[in-house]
Amino acid sequence: MIKTEKILHLKSCRGRKVRVVREHYLRQQVPCYSSLCQADCGNDGKVLPGDLTHYVFPDVGVVVDYLEILEIRELQGIVFTQTACQGVQHSKGRRQHNRLRNLLKDPRHDCVLFANEFQEYSYCPREKGESQEKWQTRCVYSAAVWYFHHLAGMMDVVMITEDQDAVAQYSSLNSGVYVISVQDFLQNFWPELQAAHELYGSISQALQEKESEGTEREYTEHLPAEVLEAGIKSGRYIQGTLNVSKHRAHSEASIMTEGLSNKNTDLSWGVLVCGGKNRNRAVHGDVVVVELLPKSEWRGKDTALAEGQGEDKSGEESDSKPMPTGRVVGILQRNWRDYVVTFPPREGPQPQSRNSQRILAVPWDHRIPKIRISTQQAEALQDHRVVVRIDSWESTSLYPNGHSVRVLGRAGELETEVQTILIENCIHVPPFSDAQLREMPVNSPEKPWRVDPAQVAERHDLRESHLVFSIDPQGCEDVDDTLSVRSLAGGKLLELGVHIADVTHFVTEGSLTDLEARARATTYYLADRRYDMLPAVLSADLCSLLGGVDRYAMSVMWELDAQTLVVNKVWYGRTLIRSSYQLHYELAQALLNGEQAEVPELAELGSEEKDAKLAQLTQALETLTHVARHLRAQRDRGGALELEGVEVRAQLDEERNITALIPRQPLEVHETVAECMIYANHWVARKIQETFPHQALLRRHPPPRQEFFSQLVDSAVAGGFTIDTRTNKALADSLDRAVDPRDPLVNRLLRIMATTAMSQALYFSTGLQSQDQCYHYGLALDRYTHFTSPIRRYADIVVHRLLTAAIDMDRGGGLGKAIAGNKELEETAHHINNKNRAAQRAQKISTELFQCLYFKERDPQSDQSCVADAVVYSIRDNGVLVFVPEYGVKGPVYVKNREGQVVAAGQDGSCEWQSGSVRRYSDHITTTSSCGTSTFSLFHHITVRISVRSTHCHADTLNLEVTSNKPHHRTEPPQPRSQGRSQLVQEVVRLAEEAAQEKAARRPKLSREEREFSQSKTPNLYSLLEEVRELALLDLQVDKQVCATTA
Amino acid sequence: MGNVVQRQTRGALRFEVCGNMAGLELLSDQGYRLDGRKASELRKVQARMGVFAQADGSAYLEQGNTKALAVVYGPHEVRGLRSRIRHDRAVINCQYSMATFSTAERKRRPHGDRKSTEMSLHLKQTFEAAVMTQLYPRSQIDIYVKILQSDGGNYSVCVNAATLAVIDAGIPMRDYVCACTVGFVDETPLTDLCHAEESGGVSSLALALLPRGGQIALLQMDARLHQDHLESLIEAAMTACKGVSKVLDEVVRQHLQEVSVLSGE
Repeated sequence: MIKTEKILHLKSCRGRKVRVVREHYLRQQVPCYSSLCQADCGNDGKVLPGDLTHYVFPDVGVVVDYLEILEIRELQGIVFTQTACQGVQHSKGRRQHNRLRNLLKDPRHDCVLFANEFQEYSYCPREKGESQEKWQTRCVYSAAVWYFHHLAGMMDVVMITEDQDAVAQYSSLNSGVYVISVQDFLQNFWPELQAAHELYGSISQALQEKESEGTEREYTEHLPAEVLEAGIKSGRYIQGTLNVSKHRAHSEASIMTEGLSNKNTDLSWGVLVCGGKNRNRAVHGDVVVVELLPKSEWRGKDTALAEGQGEDKSGEESDSKPMPTGRVVGILQRNWRDYVVTFPPREGPQPQSRNSQRILAVPWDHRIPKIRISTQQAEALQDHRVVVRIDSWESTSLYPNGHSVRVLGRAGELETEVQTILIENCIHVPPFSDAQLREMPVNSPEKPWRVDPAQVAERHDLRESHLVFSIDPQGCEDVDDTLSVRSLAGGKLLELGVHIADVTHFVTEGSLTDLEARARATTYYLADRRYDMLPAVLSADLCSLLGGVDRYAMSVMWELDAQTLVVNKVWYGRTLIRSSYQLHYELAQALLNGEQAEVPELAELGSEEKDAKLAQLTQALETLTHVARHLRAQRDRGGALELEGVEVRAQLDEERNITALIPRQPLEVHETVAECMIYANHWVARKIQETFPHQALLRRHPPPRQEFFSQLVDSAVAGGFTIDTRTNKALADSLDRAVDPRDPLVNRLLRIMATTAMSQALYFSTGLQSQDQCYHYGLALDRYTHFTSPIRRYADIVVHRLLTAAIDMDRGGGLGKAIAGNKELEETAHHINNKNRAAQRAQKISTELFQCLYFKERDPQSDQSCVADAVVYSIRDNGVLVFVPEYGVKGPVYVKNREGQVVAAGQDGSCEWQSGSVRRYSDHITTTSSCGTSTFSLFHHITVRISVRSTHCHADTLNLEVTSNKPHHRTEPPQPRSQGRSQLVQEVVRLAEEAAQEKAARRPKLSREEREFSQSKTPNLYSLLEEVRELALLDLQVDKQVCATTA
Repeated sequence: MGNVVQRQTRGALRFEVCGNMAGLELLSDQGYRLDGRKASELRKVQARMGVFAQADGSAYLEQGNTKALAVVYGPHEVRGLRSRIRHDRAVINCQYSMATFSTAERKRRPHGDRKSTEMSLHLKQTFEAAVMTQLYPRSQIDIYVKILQSDGGNYSVCVNAATLAVIDAGIPMRDYVCACTVGFVDETPLTDLCHAEESGGVSSLALALLPRGGQIALLQMDARLHQDHLESLIEAAMTACKGVSKVLDEVVRQHLQEVSVLSGE
């Protein structure tokens, strides 16, 4: 090592210039991380492949400004110099630097860091009078030259820089080391990579624009960080996350304060921020600091219906209670993500030629302000949806500046809209890369996959000894759970087994597939498609516990007393199973009922043998049902919520309709399977929690806050029921009692309200919560986790790994590999929770999208299907909220429009607009006009007309308009409309296809199977049951079954 | 004593605040420190003995950019308070000071401020453990150390310099006393901290070792550290001290050779 000195001039804390001398050690051996290395560098970890045409050395300025381009995965062989990294850290701050670090760590991305400043021969000291930028460029160049020689000239090296002088100065110095600008680089080496070119164009435009900024101040400056920190500590300012109101996006926002930081009870509901000036450039999701305004300026939230009305209501006469109101004084953390915007159509010729480049694009999300984008493609991008990123928001500018990243397509097209939904929810689902697929085992007719003999020796072989079978919806292809049951010791004992696909055997920790699965965290189900978490070879084949083939499994087996069903012993371990029967629910139920049913697996056998086998299977099913009933009763005593019993069955109806099966009554076998899975989850949770008290991944469902139940209780009182919300058991019981014999919908609406009042179940690491907080409110279990669906949930994979580690420890072997610590696990849990929420949101929005597309094709005035029955479930100032069971739509209905007219109902119930007044009561709302008084009360049925309100830049919404205050009676008997959404989705997909075919038909027509498949939203019925049980219901789903019963 | 503890905690708090503000990456993902060293590498150590003729023993030592001058007088009669006389051993008197030009900002440093008094005390304790004081009853040994340039690890550099000076003075010691500071970042112990690292919010530990026997002469830490990490931190410090002792040993042998050549033996 050689010691040199580096002289820095730093500012001291008092602002004086200080000369600091720092040591700087150089060495000859600095790993180059290239697989071509001849000099035996200690390259461990990620190395650059040797089969590229060139390596790229980006200059500091390029890394600082164009990091996004370098993030594109197609660009391979990027060598980031240490100089560049430090440059990013100094000029862009920690967030950008972390982004670069994550990029370097990501094994899917071909880039490495070369510590050029510690290499003896590539380091060049800064000369006197040399500017920082010049020196950095020189450093990067000398690193590039060294690298070229180090690899003995086997690989050409390209240095890209935005500094034209550098190009001129260095380009001809060394052969093999090329110095070119970014634009030339992209044009010469990646002419076909359109995305990179567009990105380059938009970023460089944005940079140019930045230089020519105006000076007029639109907003007050943010306070410096130290002041904010001191202010928060002293209690003068309040820190929180800005949450912009969905319906009054430009006037109203609130701050959600974090936890216990405020003892002040006034602030427990958050702080209101009114108007754009007070919001001071904060964007939805940012962590901001607010200062409270004097009490005289406090205001209340607006409760009138204004959904989608866009325009501000002048003079908000808010009669609601004033809330603490404040203004933003600083922003601690920007949480900008990718936004989808729509370029507005051009109105007339633009007067100024210079400014014509700058476009104000409207984000899809109402809560995001308009974003100013400078582009040369404004003409071409009209009416297109584009992904943009916000670069900055100066105090001199009314709107934030951004640049475009990627064009999604024309607004209104199905594909564009679906992509929009994905991006707005931060869901990235690129197709699985070749490298990931290469990790997968092969199973093809030529090379069939076989069980590994080494694994057979290690695993408990259940192939011969146990009768294993699966029960799933018909046509399900990813079977991740199977069951077995048998009696032991001459009938005194029962052995119940749950066998789950052993995904972790194929997906090793840290492999590319694992990383991708972790990033996705779950399989995404949209209305018409799904995005798998694992590649199909695993999810539909090798991990799927299909009938008649050998598969690896992870098993939990209980030894129960045959009489009392008390657990004697539990065994956890890896097993090898062969599922004998792949049943579906209806078949299983038929067997249980003793009906004549044809089991496909037994079709070829002789009748005698067949009967014997059938008897054996039926016996097993009966035992299983018996056990499940017992388990359910046990949980019921503990207070398990049966909030959704009716809904679930109805949802099953929907499933069955899809698979074109007739039976309508709920099947007990669903509950049996679900109960076994809950039991397995519970016991696995116990096991991992006991073995790893500080680092087990569990799932908890916190008890809901009582105040959220107020709407439910009030509505129930209006309907003449009482609801007791004190405990989960009391709630379940009182909901069971609240049945209106004339209208089954009432009970369902109450259950929906109860569900929305619940908090969501969450994954967490046990190290962070005390034992009593692990409680699962909905299931009434003290510990719970997810173990049974590793094919479509990442949490289950984590739990499988924990369980494996626990089993290994029981066997006496220490921890083979260190398991994730508490902090790491909590991060994972947080990530999975976020992704799950995003998945649910995306699913919900995509359902809404399909509803809108469905109604868009129909003329609301003439088409009968646009008129439907609706139930009032909430009363507001100027209207009511209704629920349309037939389509599962919820929405506002106005009884007073913006001109001040009110709805007046005639004798026959038909409604028209007249001038009059509105009065609101707790359980009904009345309108008074020249025709008399009409009333809309809670839980009454009315008739509404559904139309689509098209908005250009945002998602379309459905508009409900009251046509009669009497229930709607269909003239013709209802068509099989109970199929509801599935039919609707199919219809929309078909229309979109037709449109696409007309338009040059580029997109391949969906195959019949695909369309068929697209119907089965969730392949695993158990999962549905469980999701619902977890109370993570989407309203729309719940709503769906209501239509099934009314129809 | 209670007083001292309190002050130390306050120091620790200040450290933490600094760490949050600075935000420097002390150990990169590739395993390099700010100045290009790996986690367990020492700074470059250079030393010379016998730099002054007037003193009984003297040495100059550079450890990276920290430079120290140590001078030893004695053993001689006890001066000043006669009550300090020990009948069974020699008294060691240490004085630590920093030059006005030793840091980036020029600062007048009066004698006897709290920091240097504390440092003097630490040095005294260290050398009482190492010097064979029982050989010189009723006498006194003076050790003066001055930091000429400060760049982290002042205490350990002083100890190392003073060791050489004591040896130069021909005072018998049980062993070399070698000292080193270690810090703890990202679950890794960093040896021989420089100033940027010390002020970057690292919890640091100074350790003086008699390397041959492995006895610890002094251990000092005034920041917070989880108990589980202490073992590994001390382990790293001891390894570093042994490394320093090798360098010092070489310096002493080199010096002996030079001196013997000069004196014509």
